[in-house]
Amino acid sequence: MSGLRMRTLAIAVLAAAGLAAPLVWSHPFVLHIAIQALIWALFAASWDLLSGYTGQVSFGHAGFFSIGAYTAAILSKVAGLSSWLGMTAALLLCALVGLCVGFPALRLRGHYLALVTLGFGEIVQLIATNWEALTGGPFGMHDFGTFSGLPSDALAQRQDAYLIVAAIALAGLAIMLWLTRRTNAGPAFRAIREDQILAGSLGIDTTYYKLLAFTLSAGFAGLAGALYAYYIQLVSPSVGSAAQSALVIGMAVFGGIGTIWGPFLGAILLFSITEGLRFIGVVYNLIAVGAVMVVFVIFVPRGLAGIRLYRSGRQQRADRQAVDAPS
Amino acid sequence: MVEEILEFLILGLVLGGIYALFAVGLTLIFGVLDIVNVAHGEFFAIGGYALYVAMVLLGLPPAVGLVLATTVVFALGTVVYPLLIAPLQKRLGRRAPGPLFLVLTLGLSALIQNSLLAAAGGEYLKVPPAVKGGLDLSFTYVSNQRILIVVVASLSLAALFLFLRFHRQGMAIRAVAQNPAAAQSVGIPLSRIFTLTIGLACALAGLAGGLIAPLFSVYPAVGFTLTIKAFAITILGGMGNLLGALVASLIIATVEALSVLVIPSEWQNAIAFGTMILVLLVRPNGLFGKKQP
Amino acid sequence: MLAVEGVSAGYGRLEILHKVSLDVGPGEIVGIIGPNGAGKSTLLKTIFGYLPPFEGSIRFAGDALAGLSPDRVMRQGIGYVAQAGGVFADMSVHENLVLGGYSLGSRRAAAAAIERVYAQFPLFRSRAHQRAGSLSGGEQRALAVARTLVVEPRLIILDEPSAALAPRFIDEIYATLAALNRSGIALLIVEQNVRRILDAAHRVVVLDMGRNAFAGASAELRQSDRIRRLYLGEDAG
Repeated sequence: MSGLRMRTLAIAVLAAAGLAAPLVWSHPFVLHIAIQALIWALFAASWDLLSGYTGQVSFGHAGFFSIGAYTAAILSKVAGLSSWLGMTAALLLCALVGLCVGFPALRLRGHYLALVTLGFGEIVQLIATNWEALTGGPFGMHDFGTFSGLPSDALAQRQDAYLIVAAIALAGLAIMLWLTRRTNAGPAFRAIREDQILAGSLGIDTTYYKLLAFTLSAGFAGLAGALYAYYIQLVSPSVGSAAQSALVIGMAVFGGIGTIWGPFLGAILLFSITEGLRFIGVVYNLIAVGAVMVVFVIFVPRGLAGIRLYRSGRQQRADRQAVDAPS
Repeated sequence: MVEEILEFLILGLVLGGIYALFAVGLTLIFGVLDIVNVAHGEFFAIGGYALYVAMVLLGLPPAVGLVLATTVVFALGTVVYPLLIAPLQKRLGRRAPGPLFLVLTLGLSALIQNSLLAAAGGEYLKVPPAVKGGLDLSFTYVSNQRILIVVVASLSLAALFLFLRFHRQGMAIRAVAQNPAAAQSVGIPLSRIFTLTIGLACALAGLAGGLIAPLFSVYPAVGFTLTIKAFAITILGGMGNLLGALVASLIIATVEALSVLVIPSEWQNAIAFGTMILVLLVRPNGLFGKKQP
Repeated sequence: MLAVEGVSAGYGRLEILHKVSLDVGPGEIVGIIGPNGAGKSTLLKTIFGYLPPFEGSIRFAGDALAGLSPDRVMRQGIGYVAQAGGVFADMSVHENLVLGGYSLGSRRAAAAAIERVYAQFPLFRSRAHQRAGSLSGGEQRALAVARTLVVEPRLIILDEPSAALAPRFIDEIYATLAALNRSGIALLIVEQNVRRILDAAHRVVVLDMGRNAFAGASAELRQSDRIRRLYLGEDAG
């Protein structure tokens, strides 16, 4: 077996073991952490798709997460929709909002784009806090139910919730990885990140790909939000706060911006560590996240994902082939 | 009705002074270093906390407390460039700053805010006003603290503008903002100017934090809303344009103050964000934008 | 006075200069010519400190310059006139000169030096409060030169002083440079306008693909048809 095949197999085995562990262990608190960690992982990967991979830095991504969470909660509460429909609706609505936000973002670069997305996140939070009739105001919503069809036993409920969240989060990750590694979108996104003008002059439809990145990224963030709503069963405006947006960026930086799987993994690790450290004190884990961002951005720019550098040579060659290939 | 408007106009002037101190500093950093300091609000908060420590814990007189607070924040600001930004600049080499600096200052913001939370707790701390009493105008009562804010803010900003215009180091700061390569060729050391710039900008933010502390109370996230508004203000006035930031501060503050007559106060913050988004949609480089992002 | 030996330099991992050497004696005018992309500007930037050299040595009056930042290099007595955008466009002519004297310390110390420059360039006295960006191209170039003179350099490095200038202005700039040289200031000039530099310089260095290709007295180069055709692409005669 070639070295690459062995490495892939090893990763697959490790991942499967890692995913199975919380189920096997079946401690309710461990499951609780694992479920949330996977939700954050999907959220972080979605941020990375847009900001790290395509270079459109979003500072208000929690806004999409929030819209997804509220959509699921409202539809289930008001229209009695099952969680499957609720999650689908959240995904689609957020994708649509992402598309809408993407249009004005086409004209903006760098700092301005980040600030506008920050403003977007703040406006979402303002609406969530003040439009009481729709969102329940500052206290949020809590009586909209959970995942449909769960058993009544508390532990079994949690186990099944874990299976659902894990399956969806992994499916999301798989789709994003497939998109960036196996389709033309990947090199296009990377080209836009490196040099938008050059990408355009090489014939890449930057408008289409930027909007695609916004749409998908927002959709998956919204899906993560819906998962959050159905699991935690409480949605409040703080879900879309700037602190949450900052948190997901910190996780992505920790895992390694621009790799998709790096932020996914980084979120799982960072969330698990900080939740575990919660016994020391709630505030210290947030300090740690801030410190991680500062230190990693300066000294460990590739994050955890950068520990293995084997990818870069292949990536560059693949990019060059994709660009040189006749269109 | 006219009296109500006048009352809100005065409030707009007071807030405008604070916004201006904050936004001018933010714009200064962007103009000279090309970096958006997401952590600017935290220096504002530290100013409030320093004043609290000086006045409430140490019992110092208000004037001393205010000077102390400003000095402390200045000192902290001078650390930011050499400790955090210079290493990242070194690593990135000649490539344009890009979003990584944004992430850096975002991390710094989270770090400082939560450290304040850990060190001081989350309660809203009360700071007594620097001057008591007030002016009894026929239609409204204006506290002396508010008058103090307008006076100090105006004097400080005037001093800053004079410094930048006539003092050798102020001119050097402007030179670096305009043309870093030429500035180096006349012997201006970039890193020292960067350090000075951030120190000055943070000092202004700290001063603002100390001035408004009696009105806003002091708590870890006090600077956050202001930071976002300041982004809107600097974009409105044109990033890198100091005078634009000053004017935009007054405009936004006045509009916000008057808007209470028309919309519920919870939506006040949306004015700044909404204005910013609208402006950028029409003019992606801000109203008087001088610099490319 | 200026001794550049075996200098290699470039941007990031891209090496543009490969072991380039040249020297400038006191009061000399040395020109650097060569095809586009030969690394001429890169060489000037490396000497002045905008780029750190990968290898080699740069010495000025015995002191090592390699690795110093431009604000330290200029304090050794070297002035730099950039190819374009060398002035502070949003500041007045006077402010530009004041900044030229930045390294002298206080504004008062620089005042006498600035007066001296106004005497040399009376044009600027009447334009002292005009925004530098509103000056003509030639005047801006002259202002950039004047600014370096505030601190009395022994050597001035110029990157394509004739670039984007009308012939009349090129005449003026080169007349100014000749006068400066007569007063003892050495000049190192990168030029695309080969005729001009052959007329003005004592010696000329030719760079090609980042390497030394030829060097010699400009009189020699002017007369050698073969060299002119090979390196300068001119018709003989």
